[in-house]
Amino acid sequence: MVTVKVCVGTYCYLQGGQQLAQWRNYVPKHLQDKVTFLGSACLGCQEDTAKPPYVKVGEVLIERATSEKVVEEIEKQLEGNLEL
Amino acid sequence: MSDNIFVEAGSFQLNKYGNIACGDTVLLHKFPEQERCIAVLSDGLGSGIKANVLSTMTASMAMNFRIKREPILRTAQIIMDTLPVDSKRNISYSTFTIMDIDVNGETRIVEFDNPPLLLVRNGKVCHINSETFKINEKNGETSYERVVKHSLLSLQKGDRLIVYSDGVSQSGIGNPNMPFGWEEGVETFIEELIKEDNNISARDLTKKIVKKAEMKDGLKSKDDTSCICLYVREPRKLLICSGPPFTEEKDKYLAEVISSYDGKKIVCGGTTSQIIARELNKEIEVDMDLDKIASGLPPESHIEGIDLVTEGIITLGALGKILEEDKYNEPAKDDAAWNILKYVMDADIIDILVGTKINVAHQDPSLPVELEIRRNVMKRIKFLIEEKLLKTVNLEFI
Ligand code: FES
Repeated sequence: MVTVKVCVGTYCYLQGGQQLAQWRNYVPKHLQDKVTFLGSACLGCQEDTAKPPYVKVGEVLIERATSEKVVEEIEKQLEGNLEL
Repeated sequence: MSDNIFVEAGSFQLNKYGNIACGDTVLLHKFPEQERCIAVLSDGLGSGIKANVLSTMTASMAMNFRIKREPILRTAQIIMDTLPVDSKRNISYSTFTIMDIDVNGETRIVEFDNPPLLLVRNGKVCHINSETFKINEKNGETSYERVVKHSLLSLQKGDRLIVYSDGVSQSGIGNPNMPFGWEEGVETFIEELIKEDNNISARDLTKKIVKKAEMKDGLKSKDDTSCICLYVREPRKLLICSGPPFTEEKDKYLAEVISSYDGKKIVCGGTTSQIIARELNKEIEVDMDLDKIASGLPPESHIEGIDLVTEGIITLGALGKILEEDKYNEPAKDDAAWNILKYVMDADIIDILVGTKINVAHQDPSLPVELEIRRNVMKRIKFLIEEKLLKTVNLEFI
């Protein structure tokens, strides 16, 4: 199981978080029962160098997140799990 | 009565069926920064525009004289002498009831020909004792003797004063089971409502009374129906916190204000809610309701002990817009801004605590919308709530 946290704080929400938050509906079939989907009020974007939107997959923080990047990271982590 | 009293003034009116103007006039006046509150109900002779003019004149005179604390009898005399004479009936006539609640709950009541004022105390309706005065109203040759009632009483917390026009007490008139209308049935109805909900607001109570009267008339009111309630009670307080404090040392203060506040609590802002969750040692749980997210505003979250947790600037901007565009009486939508509004509408005193730390990230020029400075958004919201919803708002920056 992998936890996916999508930031829906002001900054991320305006920079693509709103769409990412709805992405749960479109999670690829083979991953559907392997992810826990959560929201976050802010994943810590305080500097002027922040790169929203942020999504946290497990312990990994993804900048400028897109659904592709998120899927990639989920698969990577699941594979890692299998190897263990 | 000891410590501060708070008076909630509520009223509701319906026109006689098919009329565009109401022949009853309700005026409510609250003195900012003071404990005084005056309410006037006047019912003009007949109905429609003529009655509306009579009652408006009467109520405005009564209100203005009362504000200046003019003597009661003089006030009544001047009103009667001033009203224009109805050409058909050859009398000038319009009823009035004045309720003036002053410091410490000391209350003065003047009544002229409306159904008797009711005092509701401990869930029971009582009539108040009053002195009567006679006033002569001259009209050409004829002179009419009018009786004005005057009473003083001392209100306590929990008391309600209720007055209504005869459209309420005579509703249903002519029905075989109530030949003279609803009459004392109103009093029983009020007691039942209060028994059901001891804290029912003045706004809801008056609305329920008038709506019931309308039903008794088969949903076609035979007369203008109005009701006023003044409810003396503990003020309902609401705290809205938004924005991280300017310096981190103040984070603790913010959390303390919140946890010790005796009223409803709302937190707006991601970073702010994280500070509070951290200081209070609680979890934040974001409500990922996808339908709500699709509908436009960022989702709400939950922190144990806080009534409502929302995103900050976008949501507050939307709240400001609802107020600015006078949409607040429309049916509520289910989003974060409307939910804040619901709490605001239910409160009497609103304390707003604004953290002034600027979120650098919000200055990103590539943002699709311009994010306003929190301080300004909150100032505007304070102004709008005071102007449009007539509530007391205190604003503090940290
Ligand atoms: S708003 Fe998303 S990380 Fe701050």
